[in-house]
Amino acid sequence: MIRVKELSKQFGGFTAVDKLSFFIPEGQVFGLLGENGAGKTTTLRMLATMLQPSSGSILIRGIHAIDFPEQARAHIGILFGGETGLYDRLTARENILYFARLNGMESKAANARVERLATQLEMTEYLDRRAGNFSKGMKQKVALARSIVHDPEIMLFDEPTAGLDVMAIRLVHAFIRELKAEGKTIVFSSHTMTEVMALCDAIGIIDRGKLIEFGSLKDLEKRAPGMSLEEFFLHRISEERR
Amino acid sequence: MRGYTWIVFKKELMDTFRDRKTIATSILIPILIFPILTFVMGIAMQGLFDDVESHVPIAIIGEESGVTEFLLETGLVEIKPEPDPMAALKDLDVFVVVEIPAGFTEMLKGKNMADLILHYDEASQKSTMALGTVQGLITQFQQEVVRQRLIDLGMDPGIVTAVKTESRALAEGESGNPVGAMLYMMLLPLMLTMWSAVGGIPAATDLGAGEKERQTLEPLLATRASRSQILFGKYFAVVIASVMGMLASLLGFLLATLLNPTVLASGGIMPLKAVLVIAVACLGLNFTFSAVELAISFYARNFKEAQTYLSPITILVMIPAYFTLYLDGKLIPESYFHIPIINTIAIIKEALARIYDPRHLMIVGVWLCVYVGIALLFTRRMFSRESVIFRN
Repeated sequence: MIRVKELSKQFGGFTAVDKLSFFIPEGQVFGLLGENGAGKTTTLRMLATMLQPSSGSILIRGIHAIDFPEQARAHIGILFGGETGLYDRLTARENILYFARLNGMESKAANARVERLATQLEMTEYLDRRAGNFSKGMKQKVALARSIVHDPEIMLFDEPTAGLDVMAIRLVHAFIRELKAEGKTIVFSSHTMTEVMALCDAIGIIDRGKLIEFGSLKDLEKRAPGMSLEEFFLHRISEERR
Repeated sequence: MRGYTWIVFKKELMDTFRDRKTIATSILIPILIFPILTFVMGIAMQGLFDDVESHVPIAIIGEESGVTEFLLETGLVEIKPEPDPMAALKDLDVFVVVEIPAGFTEMLKGKNMADLILHYDEASQKSTMALGTVQGLITQFQQEVVRQRLIDLGMDPGIVTAVKTESRALAEGESGNPVGAMLYMMLLPLMLTMWSAVGGIPAATDLGAGEKERQTLEPLLATRASRSQILFGKYFAVVIASVMGMLASLLGFLLATLLNPTVLASGGIMPLKAVLVIAVACLGLNFTFSAVELAISFYARNFKEAQTYLSPITILVMIPAYFTLYLDGKLIPESYFHIPIINTIAIIKEALARIYDPRHLMIVGVWLCVYVGIALLFTRRMFSRESVIFRN
């Protein structure tokens, strides 16, 4: 589903991502763990084809994402940094429809999909109200609906719960579980161990742009028996920096 | 404009014109500013003219004479009996002091040349203008004395008038207000250029830096629309906002000429040819500046930073606009048609003077195409650079 090979990204003389390689099969939830500045966001931005890699390759459902970014993006939905950035002067419906149309949906199909999502996420009451006066929770729901309106097979979440309150975090977690149940492939970055433990099938630990660990949770448990994920994470990072 | 560009354009236009701030700054202010300005100027000018043309307070130093009677008979001056006329002039209780030297009446009676001194305060606009009015009246008095002397000599007073002049305006539909028409010719190119250049700033700020600040840019970049499609959708929305701003200012200007013709006079209805030339020249600026403003806005990290970067554009346009303020539309140096912004003002001034020189039109047309091309290339380059898009 997602195959990344020798992926690197340099900003001037600084290497943000260094020869990353991994494969995420269909329907798997993959968590990218790392400290702030480790290279998680840069990796996800490259997967979303928003950043051009310095070298390496990305295959999204068999499509070369670097050469055909627009085709690759058709299969991807994203939610960055727990953001609830909406167009305040547009209604919730207009916000979601805009992204549906920009993801290639026909007007009629897009409208029907918005109605379905509104029911599913319980936002019919304020669907035709302007987003400027929404609460954070309401905005979060619209942002979630916007990210999946075109029904992508792959979802990318960059620290999706960062800065959110408890209710919003629960909403995002439930949303990810629902997507997982639907068989979507999910990649999300986080530095919250409990979140990763609760949601992921496999994880990768990234440090200073390098993938220093990759495997299923069970694999990791086998490699470090008796250690919690947090302990293992700290252990591997200190080992790597020695 | 097709596909995703059209979707982005429609959305941006709707979003922009739902913004009260943009409507206020791009449409309402340009419509209202000139009518209000000319209304206030009209009141001030009327007050000034009333003071210096109809009831000019003056004081007299010296003997009473025929000139005093003459001035009083005109009804345009009011002679104030001031104990210290020069102090009264300093305090502007009177605007002019007429000093009649001793022996003035005798000199006139003896058919000699008599001196008269007019004191005024050069630091006072009213005093300076009143001096002109009093000088005019003294000239009339002088002509009357000469006429009487010629009659006394049995001669025709007409022999001292060798040439009689009559002024007729060249322009068709002349307004009868040459000062107003001159102001119109000076201010219209300045205003059109200014608004064509800065009219798109509020929209550009919102569609570039605003998108970053709202955190909506990343989701937008992750859609199937290509960067060029997103960019051009936004660009055309900024152009429309800019054109609306320019049209609104034009409407405001026309309203000002109708509501207060004493301050601004249009000099008659502009021919369609002139309107077309001016519209194309302004559109060139709309297209160029919209691209530059959008590029700068995308470079900025947030709304506030964009406003800081974009504000100097106003000054950048004001310099050539003021440089050419007194430029005569019929005497424009050839080199001016090659200088950015000045060439647009020059072509507008020519059109207002009903001059349509194909060579000048072609030169400016080519330059405008070059500016738009360079501006678009620059904007596209900026929008494709990761260091610009992800600068925040």
